[in-house]
Amino acid sequence: MVKKKSQPEVTIVVEEEPPHPPDGVEEVPGPQSKMPIFRNPHYQHQTLIGGKKKTWRSLKQIVAHEKSLPWPPDTPLYSNISAPPALKPPKKYSDISGLEAKYTDPQTKLFYASSDEFATIRSLPSDIIAGFLTLRGANNPIP
Amino acid sequence: MEILEFKDIKTVPDVIQPYTASLRNSSIPIVIDNGSYNCRVGWANSSKPLLIFKNVLAKPRKERGKKDGEMQIGNDILNIEAVRGNLKTQFDKNVVTHMEVQEYIFNYTFSHLGIDTDIGVDHPIVMTEAVTNPNFSRNLMSQLLFECYNVPSVCYCVDSLSSYWRCPSVNKTSLLISAGYYTTHIIPIVGGVVDFKRSRRLDLGGQQITYYLHKLLQLKYPVHFNALNLSRAEELLHDHCRISVDYKGELEKWADPEYYDSHLKCIQLPFSAPPISLLTPEQQKGRRRETARKLVEVNARKREEKLAEDEEQFNQLLSIQDLLEEGEDIEYQRSLDEFGLKSTEDLLKMISTLQARIERTRQKIANSMAGNSEETTEEPKPKMMKQFHVPRNEEDFNVWIESMRKKRDELVERKAVRKQRRLDMAKRRTVASVERMRLISQLAADNEKKEDDFGRRDQDWDVYKAINKEGDSDSEAEAEKLVELEEALRLHDPTYVVDSGKSVLATAESHRLHFAVESIRAGEALFQPSALLGWGQAGLSDLIAWVLKMFPEDVADELAKDVCLTGGLANLPGLKEKIISQLIEVRPFKSRVNVRIVPQPSLGAWYGCKQFASNPDSRQYFVTRAEYDEKGGDYLKEHSRSNLFNPLPLVTADPSLENPTVLSASVDIPIEDIEVDIL
Repeated sequence: MVKKKSQPEVTIVVEEEPPHPPDGVEEVPGPQSKMPIFRNPHYQHQTLIGGKKKTWRSLKQIVAHEKSLPWPPDTPLYSNISAPPALKPPKKYSDISGLEAKYTDPQTKLFYASSDEFATIRSLPSDIIAGFLTLRGANNPIP
Repeated sequence: MEILEFKDIKTVPDVIQPYTASLRNSSIPIVIDNGSYNCRVGWANSSKPLLIFKNVLAKPRKERGKKDGEMQIGNDILNIEAVRGNLKTQFDKNVVTHMEVQEYIFNYTFSHLGIDTDIGVDHPIVMTEAVTNPNFSRNLMSQLLFECYNVPSVCYCVDSLSSYWRCPSVNKTSLLISAGYYTTHIIPIVGGVVDFKRSRRLDLGGQQITYYLHKLLQLKYPVHFNALNLSRAEELLHDHCRISVDYKGELEKWADPEYYDSHLKCIQLPFSAPPISLLTPEQQKGRRRETARKLVEVNARKREEKLAEDEEQFNQLLSIQDLLEEGEDIEYQRSLDEFGLKSTEDLLKMISTLQARIERTRQKIANSMAGNSEETTEEPKPKMMKQFHVPRNEEDFNVWIESMRKKRDELVERKAVRKQRRLDMAKRRTVASVERMRLISQLAADNEKKEDDFGRRDQDWDVYKAINKEGDSDSEAEAEKLVELEEALRLHDPTYVVDSGKSVLATAESHRLHFAVESIRAGEALFQPSALLGWGQAGLSDLIAWVLKMFPEDVADELAKDVCLTGGLANLPGLKEKIISQLIEVRPFKSRVNVRIVPQPSLGAWYGCKQFASNPDSRQYFVTRAEYDEKGGDYLKEHSRSNLFNPLPLVTADPSLENPTVLSASVDIPIEDIEVDIL
């Protein structure tokens, strides 16, 4: 209770000084507060140059960019060595027990192996059912 | 049946290593295995890694107005679960992309190695990078090392290759399988040359398996959702999971209840038993009486105090009245002011009210004195239960008790159905709420069409019950009836068990995880990712077959003779046996197959890099600061453990500019020749 009360007061105090942080970023890039002695004090990350903070490129962006370049044929790139898709159709395993499943419940779309399991999955709450489907990558967000 | 407990191992903060005189100005390389799970660091001449920590940092969320909380890195994080939401890593899959986090990790690394020179880190760096690490990422890493830490030179190794070259096979032809945290690589090595072109990467590793196990257990035990955290899932994976060689056969065994019971592992979650009252009903009654008596005493004391106060005031007022009678007006007026009274009427009024109050209080005290002696604080009588007519005849009794039970069960069930309905209604996309929306839209549509005869029949109104979100509330009459029935059953039915009592006794039992098929199911995700995780890529064994098929038969034969496992997941029991059995399935009849695990699969990469770094001949492969300035951050000198250097193609390609770098890079290792041979 005490914490909750104290929080809004704190925010009000800060809202008066929003122009301050940008200045701080330019002069003091992130870690300088506790910068170790061996670090070059003038080094700035690429994302910090220019005053405005940019995000780091994700691997997906990096790989997509790399792929777009005119590499000589057969260059082993990150994107080239990705594993191929599975060729065999996936087997069915019961979602709740992990045993090999022969049946699919038409209502919940869960796989099950026996009549006992069927009774169990019919009594499961909807969030658990959705959890199992998502885990198996079979959850279709549109009903 | 074994009952196991979680160890919940706590991390021990790293100590700062001494930066000894022999290390200073010695240019001994620092060896960093920058793994996406653990980071291992040491000097090229240390016998083992000096620092091993989880390659993450916990940065408390920035709150406005508050000072930034202390940032924790690696082993400084004592309870990783407490900061799970704020964990940051420099990795995106197995590639370093977030250099700011990497910088914090380097700060931690170098300061814990004891480095205290202000000219930067004056040691060459040997560190690992991902297989076919994009030039972009290497560029950023070199930039950070050279420009931020001012290191003299850098050498990059591939983790799995370093691990392999500690103990290569005789003819240096092996199929290297590196099962890491985010990715699993299959890397063919033919005659000592790494064939990157035919390597394949499966984007699955320990992280996904841990996540899978974690989610499975949470879905199996929704009650213990919070107790089942990722660290515990990781512990289960490390200690109790294995890879099943014959998954299908083993599943059939698990379906047998006897096998299940004898092979089940029970894992006890920590729990605290609810406090059980040790007092007998008699003692409790005594306690209650005691408190009641104390209350009465306190009341009496209060009353007496009040009485004394009133009497005092009454006497004072009387004396003021005396003053009036004696005719001392000035004195009288002053006294009236003191009491805040205006006139003589007020004074008289006040005297009479006080008198009445004193009288009343005296009366009350007298009453309570009399009451106490008679012990009026009697227990409130228990609410009378409706008495059931209990048949004497045994047969009738059985029928009666049966009907009672049935009635009770019906009530309980109705209650449960209502509860379920309320739960379903609260969420969207459940069958119940979808049905409700359908009804509502139907109602709206109906009213527009034709003439409106809604409400003529009584049943029409039931539709409002159906679309009522709350559903019927648990009626009080029903609840009372249930209590009555349960009371009667408790009295007369010998087989009746009180529900609440059972749940209290079974707490330890209910905090136990049954760890059965999960122990092999998690690891199987590596081999059947599409069936278990819905993952788009082929499983590990299919991938091995795929890679082997790209080679001519004789080379594939040589590769299958030495399949070499490295990476943290190689510690999973059964992985080696599984791969042997899967290889035998895909290899031709009578061909030889052998699988081995490198020594220390998790730490192998560090030891391999260390071996490389401590060899003086390796110095020629280090990229110096001058070379960095000249050739750019992505420049790499190729060696046996490194990636290939693919110079960025110039978009306006001028071959004469590019060629010199290509040539100089491939002088030492005749990779091109070998590849031609295989083709």
